[in-house]
Amino acid sequence: MSSDVRFTDFKSDKQPTWCPGCGDFGTMNGMMKALAETGNSPDDTFVVAGIGCSGKIGTYMHSYALHGVHGRALPVGIGVKMANPNLEVMVAGGDGDGYSIGAGHFIHAVRRNVDMTYVVMDNRIYGLTKGQASPTSREDFETSTTPEGPQQPPVNPKALALAAGGTFIAQSFSSNSQRHAELVQEAIEHDGFGFVNVYSPCVTFNDVDTYDYFRDTIVDLDEEDHDPTDREQAKDKILEGDKEYQGVLYRDDNSVPFEQREGIEESMADIPDGAPEDAMDLVREFY
Amino acid sequence: MPDDLNWAIGGEAGDGIDSTGKIFAQALSRAGRHVFTSKDFASRIRGGYTAYKVRTSVDRVESVVDRLDVLIALTERTIDENMDELHEGSVIIYDGERTTMQDVEIPDEMIGLEVPLQRLAEEAGGAIMANVVALGAACEVTNFPIANLDESLKKRFGDKGEAIVENNKEAARKGQQFVQEEYEQDDFGYDMETTDNDYVLLNGDQAIGMGALAAGCRFYSGYPITPATDVMEYLTGRIDQYGGKVVQAEDELSAINMALGAARAGARAMTATSGPGIDLMTETFGLVAQSETPLVICDVMRSGPSTGMPTKQEQGDLNMTLYGGHGEIPRFVVAPTTVSECFWKTVEAFNYAEKYQTPVFLVSDLAMAVTEQTFPPEEFDMDEVEIERGKVVDEGDLDSWTNEKGQFQPHFPAADGISPRAFPGTDNGAHMTTGLEHDALGRRTEDTEIRQEQVEKRQQKVETAREEEDWDYREYGNPDADTLVVSWGSNEGAMREGMEFLEEEGIDVRFISVPYIFPRPDLSEEIEQAEQTIVVECNATGQFADVIEHDVLERVDRVNKYNGVRFKADELAEAIEEAISEAEVTA
Ligand SMILES: Cc1ncc(C[n+]2csc(CCOP(=O)(O)OP(=O)(O)O)c2C)c(N)n1
Ligand code: SF4
Repeated sequence: MSSDVRFTDFKSDKQPTWCPGCGDFGTMNGMMKALAETGNSPDDTFVVAGIGCSGKIGTYMHSYALHGVHGRALPVGIGVKMANPNLEVMVAGGDGDGYSIGAGHFIHAVRRNVDMTYVVMDNRIYGLTKGQASPTSREDFETSTTPEGPQQPPVNPKALALAAGGTFIAQSFSSNSQRHAELVQEAIEHDGFGFVNVYSPCVTFNDVDTYDYFRDTIVDLDEEDHDPTDREQAKDKILEGDKEYQGVLYRDDNSVPFEQREGIEESMADIPDGAPEDAMDLVREFY
Repeated sequence: MPDDLNWAIGGEAGDGIDSTGKIFAQALSRAGRHVFTSKDFASRIRGGYTAYKVRTSVDRVESVVDRLDVLIALTERTIDENMDELHEGSVIIYDGERTTMQDVEIPDEMIGLEVPLQRLAEEAGGAIMANVVALGAACEVTNFPIANLDESLKKRFGDKGEAIVENNKEAARKGQQFVQEEYEQDDFGYDMETTDNDYVLLNGDQAIGMGALAAGCRFYSGYPITPATDVMEYLTGRIDQYGGKVVQAEDELSAINMALGAARAGARAMTATSGPGIDLMTETFGLVAQSETPLVICDVMRSGPSTGMPTKQEQGDLNMTLYGGHGEIPRFVVAPTTVSECFWKTVEAFNYAEKYQTPVFLVSDLAMAVTEQTFPPEEFDMDEVEIERGKVVDEGDLDSWTNEKGQFQPHFPAADGISPRAFPGTDNGAHMTTGLEHDALGRRTEDTEIRQEQVEKRQQKVETAREEEDWDYREYGNPDADTLVVSWGSNEGAMREGMEFLEEEGIDVRFISVPYIFPRPDLSEEIEQAEQTIVVECNATGQFADVIEHDVLERVDRVNKYNGVRFKADELAEAIEEAISEAEVTA
């Protein structure tokens, strides 16, 4: 790790093809800032991206990266981190990617508590497939596949995370760039699974959950005298249906990452060029 | 009576059938006898008929036959289930004092040996040892020195304390004495010779796990499924000794993606599953290939389709591993043909995966997975294990793979199709990889020329491997015989022994056992030379036969079995004899 890393070092020379004004620009910038701020370099960072407009992030950033199949980014990230705990692992994707097709992995990644950061670019819509309802879309939000609205309440990802034993749960808004970068940074610094749901508006397909909407409604937890280490308080805030918060909702300061519990300290990349010295013992076990 | 003995213990699941059978098999193996075990089990934990069968001889045994010489029957159903295999003179040991066994009728030509298993066990210290009493009785019946049992009782019960071990030894001796005294006039005609050899006894799943450890596998993620779970259970704990980890994932989608992540981080990684699990993994096959990640994906086949018969044998997933996944996926499919080959082919699978940076399917099946077989330990000579990691670059040689802007090119279209790998953490090696079509830098593209170039690059790996590696088959019998029999996977043992039965009938065959499904050996010459080719496999449609017909543009005959039970040597010989005479009729 070198101290002279700047956030632009995490930028690739590929120009983003996101729509002008897309919330994902701000989300990505904040992630890059947070990575640089925490002293990581592109060569010791691994970014795993989901599938969706949001998932394109891996291409626009510069680091070791993998852009996998829809919904499976978290397991890939877990595999990377377990095989080499020295890497800074960051997983990013959309609300469809993370809470619909990948919802099962989300719950289990939260409870597994591997030391990595998960950033969900929540635009409450499927962007890449051109505007269908997502699991966070409002009940009455009309889309091409839900002309009357989804007719089912949106999922509350922060509640899912808390229920699953999450150790770091935060909410940010891509447009509040400084605050967003700080929150991602806190997630990186957290020992365990740092989850940040980012309101990252889709300017093309979502005319309800817009920049204006979030700007007008978002409340910073710092102004609410919220104690994020108090699980009861966190629960109340998370379950309050009509409020959009930004800040750390919950943080467990005693969190011990999974890989640490499992005693993994070294990279698994180095192996001898033949069977291990004492390998015949493996055979003798079968006498 | 031949020295070849077929022995079984059967009862209800939960009766300790497995561990009792294992104790006997281990005792035989320790006494320098070869052992081949098989299991009949149902997909339930308690209740339901289950049996553990042991075939043993001083010579190597590699298959099961339709014959049972000694049967320990804990339930009446055990006798019914095995009636077909019992013969004149077969000995059936049962506890006539048990209420459920009081009215058991043993056919006249067989020998019913009533041993009060439970009563004798209680005398030795506890009813729970009834099975061990039966083992003692079996030792007496077969003239097998009972002292050999002591070691395996110690192995089984050692951690429960010396007293328990002693009680068990005592229980075995009570069984032995009872037979000695009550049936003193009988000579059952067995003489179980022992030798000085010390064999190891293991099954196919364990051999795969051991192969993985020998090959430097450090990360395994899987989701429990019969009959692949043993691979995971074997690795759990043992892999930690070498700095690795087993992770039980939430499902197979996660399992394969975790393993892929670990492989990208530089670890040798593997996942194993069976039928329904391999279906779930399919989407990621393409990602593994497209991202050029080395990964060993093991499919221990069972009866399908759907959840089919989870505890029964089939070789029905061949097409799935050969063709599964959308688009065109460069891949290797390796199918070990014996338990010890499960070890060696696993080692090879890791080497192919890393050298060619693509998925390698390691295909095994239930018959091999649950079969324990004896081997001289030298068969797993660890000094023979070679690990080849392929083109891995570090800070020093990264430069030769950068473009004019100094960017590392992980998907450089090298002439042999194989690009450099830089493990994360390598300075200046940071790069993108994606399941989308990409350029040499790993970045998404829809440029038609680059697309074509990258497709050709990935396919080229298979061509390079075809040239560089030895995709040979194993051969037995008479190379000039008119009849050529071809099989893959676990049929080799049954066929090898089946050839002896055929020989007795005056039928001469050439037998080729193929462990490589893709790339695979070219059998055109062999098939042309033979008058008739018969492909043997445990599935209904002849998936491997189809592949061969496609290769050689010629019809082959088929012997298929798909009732859920592996081929038995004598039965297979008969089926082949029939296929030969049918061909003669039509000719
Ligand atoms: C298995 C599978 N199903 C469907 C798709 C098509 N698909 C691509 S992105 C996407 C939804 C993305 O939505 P979201 O995660 O919210 O990301 P956004 O585009 O809004 O950033 C879908 C359904 C796919 N790639 N793979
Ligand atoms: S469609 Fe929406 S989410 Fe996708 S790039 Fe455009 S604005 Fe962003």
